[in-house]
Amino acid sequence: MKRKWISVLLMIVMTASMLAGCGSKQDSGTPGAEPDNKAAAEKTDESAPADAKEVNISFYSTQTGIDDTYLDIIDHFEADNPGITVEYIAAGDDQLQKWMSLYASNEGPTVSLMDPINIWENQDRMREMTKEDCPWLDNILEESLVSYIYNDKLYGIPMSAAGYGLLYNQKVLDEAVGGTFDPASIKTRSDLEALFKKIEATGAAGSMFTGVNWSLGSHYLGALVYGPARGDVATRDAFVQAQKSGEANLIDDSLFNGLMDTFDLIAEYNYNKKDPLVGNVNMDAEALVTGKAGTWFMGDWAWVYLADLVAEGDSFGIIPIPYSDDPDDKFNTSIPLSYPKGYCVDASQNTEEQQEAGLKFIEYITSNEYAQKVSIDVGGQALPYKNCTAEIKSPLGQATQKYISEGKAYDIYDGSVNGLPSDFWYECGAYTCEYLAGACDRKQLSEKVGSYWKALEN
Amino acid sequence: MNATKKIKNLRLFALFVVPSVFIWMTVVIIPLLYGVAITFTDWNGLSMDIHFIGIKNYIAVFRDTAFLTSMLKTVLYVFLSVLGSNLIAFLLALAVTSGMKGQSLFRTGFFTPNIIGGIILGYIWNFIFSYAITGIGERMGIEGLSTSMLTHPTKALTALIIVTIWQMSGYLMVIYIAGLTNVSQELIEAARIDGASPWQIVRNVKFPLIRNSVTICIFLSITRTFMSFDLNLSLTSGGPYKSTELIAYKIYQTAFSSMEFGKGQAQALVLFVIVVTVSLLQVYFTRRGAVEE
Repeated sequence: MKRKWISVLLMIVMTASMLAGCGSKQDSGTPGAEPDNKAAAEKTDESAPADAKEVNISFYSTQTGIDDTYLDIIDHFEADNPGITVEYIAAGDDQLQKWMSLYASNEGPTVSLMDPINIWENQDRMREMTKEDCPWLDNILEESLVSYIYNDKLYGIPMSAAGYGLLYNQKVLDEAVGGTFDPASIKTRSDLEALFKKIEATGAAGSMFTGVNWSLGSHYLGALVYGPARGDVATRDAFVQAQKSGEANLIDDSLFNGLMDTFDLIAEYNYNKKDPLVGNVNMDAEALVTGKAGTWFMGDWAWVYLADLVAEGDSFGIIPIPYSDDPDDKFNTSIPLSYPKGYCVDASQNTEEQQEAGLKFIEYITSNEYAQKVSIDVGGQALPYKNCTAEIKSPLGQATQKYISEGKAYDIYDGSVNGLPSDFWYECGAYTCEYLAGACDRKQLSEKVGSYWKALEN
Repeated sequence: MNATKKIKNLRLFALFVVPSVFIWMTVVIIPLLYGVAITFTDWNGLSMDIHFIGIKNYIAVFRDTAFLTSMLKTVLYVFLSVLGSNLIAFLLALAVTSGMKGQSLFRTGFFTPNIIGGIILGYIWNFIFSYAITGIGERMGIEGLSTSMLTHPTKALTALIIVTIWQMSGYLMVIYIAGLTNVSQELIEAARIDGASPWQIVRNVKFPLIRNSVTICIFLSITRTFMSFDLNLSLTSGGPYKSTELIAYKIYQTAFSSMEFGKGQAQALVLFVIVVTVSLLQVYFTRRGAVEE
């Protein structure tokens, strides 16, 4: 009998704890609380004075390699803003999957650092940022906001300006050219080929591709073939539509063929030629720093991989990717640039209080001197904030900054963040990897990319 | 009196059953129904705007050649992995039940890969295939080993099968051990006296008597390999160029990379039906020939 009652008691306890676990959160300051902004605002008025309020917000970051920096910034932010607690959530291998999971569990992050296409796709959940709400918007460079304005509404604040092209090791290239190498001397594909030959003569590999979908699919094929070199937004959209309907094929496209000629050239002198798809950024960074390869198709963000390897006096820079053999082609001497990730604030699963705390956090990251300094020191990239006086230590970030100031950088989105679907990099990146591995020819690559577009149309 | 007892029994029954049913409903049935409902929508996994689109997602699934290719690859992967892991597990079980010295240590050793998570395992083997083996190949001048297995489509699928077999054999071995230790020593002794060779004892005495273990092992290995995801993600990430996209990984890509959540769910449901059908058929046919001891 006693045993029976113990069993019954255990069952009751188990059921009660289970029901408690399934209960909804009532705490308005917890991320994931109900999104009724009006109700939340009313609640704020009725409750204790504002200065006594504790607000918990969450920050989801998809920028790899700078977790410690963000944690440090959060510590400073919390010290300067008593009452606001920031929970840091770092993305794993798949940034989108985790973001979707957080939303599915009603724990949408208050502030998220995402790619423009992701913010665009999720804009109905996002809070519009206006100058009334965010007077600090004046501090953000206007041209950097273009990728985050949809239907005339601003939904994100860029984290940095990222330039890319062929990163080069100054020491190796100086030896190759027998003097001081000037990236401006490369104006055509032939110039690049001549440079590769000179580098090879020193015993180093001329160039290097990291054979991964995101680099080849997004940064090369996507951004260059479908980017601003094709024309304005309408021209680019028309080209995509023509591919969807089957009217246009990449193989007949001069821009594609020009870029793929350059691609073939880099592939020919590729340090990883023997096994092109190993795709290890850390090992490729080491190859560039140690002079095993003279150049590397990558971006200034690679500084996080290079920084620990470089020795005193080592210097690096960026060479633009030549589209053609025309020395007057302005794209041959300019680097592609983007504002690749932006801070956005969720309005669907966070209360008004949390959203405001989130905006305050973004203001801190973008305007605070300390936050700017540590971001620049670790990330090594230029920040698109007017009040930023922190010096960029990364030579790659300095190179990007120089191209921007000389007007030789073009925004790859240039007003059209949704030109390429969010899986383009994965799907078409795989085809480009296949091409790099020599498993398909250019015509087959063109057909595969064409099939990708046609499948979207159906 | 009888009625009171009945009510009492019913209450007691409810106390034990309701919590379990509640858990089962909340973690299995409701998500399943929710998942089925999503297959009829165009939801992208994030949007607050959802539309009912009927069976369009199912039509898209069967028209998607990439999905069908992925399914065929998965069938090949399942077939080879199930065959390999069961064969090795059975041989290992025979070895570690033969009374050899240190067999407990071997049992633990063979089982260990199974307790390492698939993701970690994938990264470890990724390093082995991409750098350790290639390093040895380069140093010893063996051309075939100097490039990573993971950068060639056929070799990458082979690598995936090797690691799956390596991981699963230890787990299946334990089930085979349980079966083998239950085989009566008297029967084995009798067979030996009758002049049966060790191979004949295995084939004609041990194997028929562990038919139930075989059924369980094949069932488990089929379901596990059909839904293999973590290893696929961390070892090959579907590459090189999507050549090792097994079905679960393909579903993941559709739902989370292409942001076609409805279509991804429809693919998952198709996989569910296939796995259930294959598993039930296998259990039915293997049990039909089972020998009762």
